[in-house]
Amino acid sequence: MHHAYIDKFAYQDSPIHRLDSRAKFIVLLIFTAVVVSLPRTSLSILFCYAVGPVAVLVMAKIPLKFVFKQILLVSPFVLVLALSCPLYDKTPVRVAFGPFFWRTTIGWMRCFVILGKFVVTMLALISLVSTTRFGDLLTGLQKLGLPKLLIIQLGFLYRYIFVLIDKVHHILRARNVRRLKNLGFKRELKIAAAMLGSLLIRSIDTAERINIAMQARGFDRTWHSLSKLQIRRCDLLFALIAIFFMLGLYFFIKPVL
Amino acid sequence: MPKAIEIEKFSYQYPDGTAALSDISLSIEHGRRVALIGPNGAGKSTLLLAMAGFVKGTGKVLIEGLEINRKNLKKIRTSLGCCLENPDDQLFMPTLFDDVAFGPLNMGLEGEQVKARVTDALQTVGLAEMADKAPHHLSAGQKRAAAIATILSMAPKIITLDEPDGSLDPRNRNNLITLLTGLPQTLIITTCDMNFAASLADRVILLDDGRIIADGDAKKIMSDSYLMAEHGLEVPTKMK
Repeated sequence: MHHAYIDKFAYQDSPIHRLDSRAKFIVLLIFTAVVVSLPRTSLSILFCYAVGPVAVLVMAKIPLKFVFKQILLVSPFVLVLALSCPLYDKTPVRVAFGPFFWRTTIGWMRCFVILGKFVVTMLALISLVSTTRFGDLLTGLQKLGLPKLLIIQLGFLYRYIFVLIDKVHHILRARNVRRLKNLGFKRELKIAAAMLGSLLIRSIDTAERINIAMQARGFDRTWHSLSKLQIRRCDLLFALIAIFFMLGLYFFIKPVL
Repeated sequence: MPKAIEIEKFSYQYPDGTAALSDISLSIEHGRRVALIGPNGAGKSTLLLAMAGFVKGTGKVLIEGLEINRKNLKKIRTSLGCCLENPDDQLFMPTLFDDVAFGPLNMGLEGEQVKARVTDALQTVGLAEMADKAPHHLSAGQKRAAAIATILSMAPKIITLDEPDGSLDPRNRNNLITLLTGLPQTLIITTCDMNFAASLADRVILLDDGRIIADGDAKKIMSDSYLMAEHGLEVPTKMK
């Protein structure tokens, strides 16, 4: 496998890595809810919110270059949404930042706020994923009461997404070594459909074999696990500091832009 | 004492009507290392699946004297560990520890017992330091060893391995041979690599077109160049 892993740094050791996955997950949930609920005039406050996840990333020794690469990787989806805002809302608005002011449209304001919220929440998400082993996260989610079926699905998704990406690479490589010229849109579309079909059939085959492997080891639709998690004082302290930081920003800092 | 495996006149057809296994009868004693050899499509993997109760045909399959049926299935799968051809199918949990613990947990063992089983199994295959790693972070050789550990942790008396030498380099293949020859369990291994079979097995069952062609001493069968060539196989280097 040659593709980068999303949890590349989750196996490091740092005070953040040692925190309980439940504490980190709950903080992430509250953080995301607070950031998403910020009004559209809160662009400058988003920078303050970014301090939290950036501090966590620095303490956990996660390279920021890696973090921004990950954000860039998923940004196209949000970019389409954000860049469409200036097109449908052209209401003029006067924006002031201290002694400076300029004129723009509400559409552009929305665009920047969406991008800002995206970057800040992604920073928080990456700080969770890069400091928590996925197995610990699943165990934490199970302890928090999420349905077992969902936990199993997430576990399989994480385990097999890399296998699936590898299969896609192999199929594309097999296609490219025989691609001598452009065959035109219609023909290329047919080939792409055939490739997707092949991928689907292979995935079904894989699922059947996994089912055999599970049954061979006594699986009877009941999911058993060995819980290794335990909430400590430092986990509670982390959660309290994070929640005070978020609520402090939410209630006491006024937007200036 | 019942034999490890007894099969009487077992036949199986694929849903499209193609005969996969025809009139298979064999018995394997405890402690033997048996290689199922034969060309591609001979029915080797299907026979392994039949031994684990995943393929239902006509005839009888008995594991340690128990006939494969719904009532006995759980007991049978505790005494017979089935290792699939592709380790990626065998390793489906987020970490290696969880994967190796999956079987013992399903057997109803408690926390400390499960941990002891996982530690023992990982030590046996030389992956004790890798317990917290995700399976996709392991090399091909490590994945193969890990797949075997998932079976060893259940402490089965019989282990079936489907093409365990597939896609391994010579060093990893030799490591695997050392690992498997050190196991006390009854081993049933399918392979297309005659050198691998010769290094491991004391008994060979040659399958072709879903039928048993020869069954007996490994050296005697695999050194028969005419028999081997007739079924698309080769004589192992050390027997030439």
